[in-house]
Amino acid sequence: MAVSAGEAVSGPRVVLVTGASGGVGRGIAVACGRAGWTVWIAARRQAQAAEVAAEVDAAGGAGRAIVCDVADPTSVASVVAAVVERDGRLDGVVHNATSGLSPRPADLADVPLVDVGDHVAVSLRGTYLLARAAFRPLRDAGGAYVVLTSEAGFEGKARLPVYAAVKAAQRGVARALAREWGPQGIRVNCLAPLAATPAMEQAFALDPAMAARVLGRNPLGHLGDAADDIGPVVRFLLSDDARYVNGLTVMADGASCPIT
Amino acid sequence: MRSPLLIGTEHTSVADLAAVLGAEAEVMPSAEAEGDGLDWTWAAALEAWRAEATARPPVSRVVVAPWEPVARPAPLVQLDLADWVRRAEVAIARWVAAFGVAKARCADGGAVVALVDRAAPLDCAGWAAETGVADAVEALVRSLARSEGPRGVRVNAVTTPARLTALPVVDPAPPLAAFPGSVLLEAAGAVRLLLEPDAIGLTGTVVHADCGRSWR
Repeated sequence: MAVSAGEAVSGPRVVLVTGASGGVGRGIAVACGRAGWTVWIAARRQAQAAEVAAEVDAAGGAGRAIVCDVADPTSVASVVAAVVERDGRLDGVVHNATSGLSPRPADLADVPLVDVGDHVAVSLRGTYLLARAAFRPLRDAGGAYVVLTSEAGFEGKARLPVYAAVKAAQRGVARALAREWGPQGIRVNCLAPLAATPAMEQAFALDPAMAARVLGRNPLGHLGDAADDIGPVVRFLLSDDARYVNGLTVMADGASCPIT
Repeated sequence: MRSPLLIGTEHTSVADLAAVLGAEAEVMPSAEAEGDGLDWTWAAALEAWRAEATARPPVSRVVVAPWEPVARPAPLVQLDLADWVRRAEVAIARWVAAFGVAKARCADGGAVVALVDRAAPLDCAGWAAETGVADAVEALVRSLARSEGPRGVRVNAVTTPARLTALPVVDPAPPLAAFPGSVLLEAAGAVRLLLEPDAIGLTGTVVHADCGRSWR
């Protein structure tokens, strides 16, 4: 669905979304495309990123696919530079990428620390590297930074403790960054979604009781749609409609999480 | 009741904490990152220690405080890679390893309390890495509270701004004039509280021993 003329989502914007070749990231990209925005699809998978870029085009925006490893300082810096070189500005950054190990159960007594390192590198180091690379263009644009976290970061997860930890850590970094960047005119917020994604399907497959646990406590009774339920919330946080929203974690989870 | 076990580093503040709690120390190695540290090879020492320490006998009460010296406050975008790794990534690895040992060593029906540095939200600018680590610890505590609850183990956390606060802070002033408090008085007191049998109904709780600076 396209955004109607009456919906104030600001003028044309240039935004960068990591981990956007599928799942929630794809939904965010498509939602931003519906507003006519230019959306850079940053992902490790070039072919899938190009497919999402085409979806953004079809939705009314301008999609651009670019390969990015958010754990690699050189890759992140070059991606941000490419955005600014081509489009002349960067209004918003969305860090959505997570480790491929996210749905894999782990026990703190013996989880390989190299696995912990992978979680940390993608989610948390990525948050830092994107902040460092995008600070100047975001400041110049009076832009916004949105970090995708999870309800796991609020309440912990018995079988996914490392995932929960890095998702919580992102919230902490964003809270501090909102205070550091506010005087520069940049807003920083987090979003905790609960969405139907391939990663969620994988988690349900690895832990069959998980589906009942996740949906049983959700008063809306279903998972969110990445493009229709989650993406528009991120678009709001990136837009001028949210110009006084800063340092917040928004829950887009149908009131599933008992902690806010 | 036997002395609690304190899982921590060789840092002097950890030794002081062990003294005021009457705790026996399980000392973990420092993980020194070489170069920029992005490859996490430095974590091997922590992993080796964890494997040894988890095999030692169980105890009924465990305090986790894997602290290192506090860095200077700095805006996130001014941290170079090595600083970031040391302040955020190495710190999280230490906590994960320490919690792994706590999980293995805490006997059924026992209690685990983590004590973590955390600047209050009003005062966290300049402490992005440390604020991230503190929130990670809260999530690890809640994860362990969930996984260990069925065997009667309680897992809670205490946060302290004592090492991360430079006075004066922005108004309004905290309710208690003792702000930011100290590790050995206010923070240690909250740790004792959560270790006590009177805390039998508390798990997954985070107590901010910050003299009322933050109430979240």
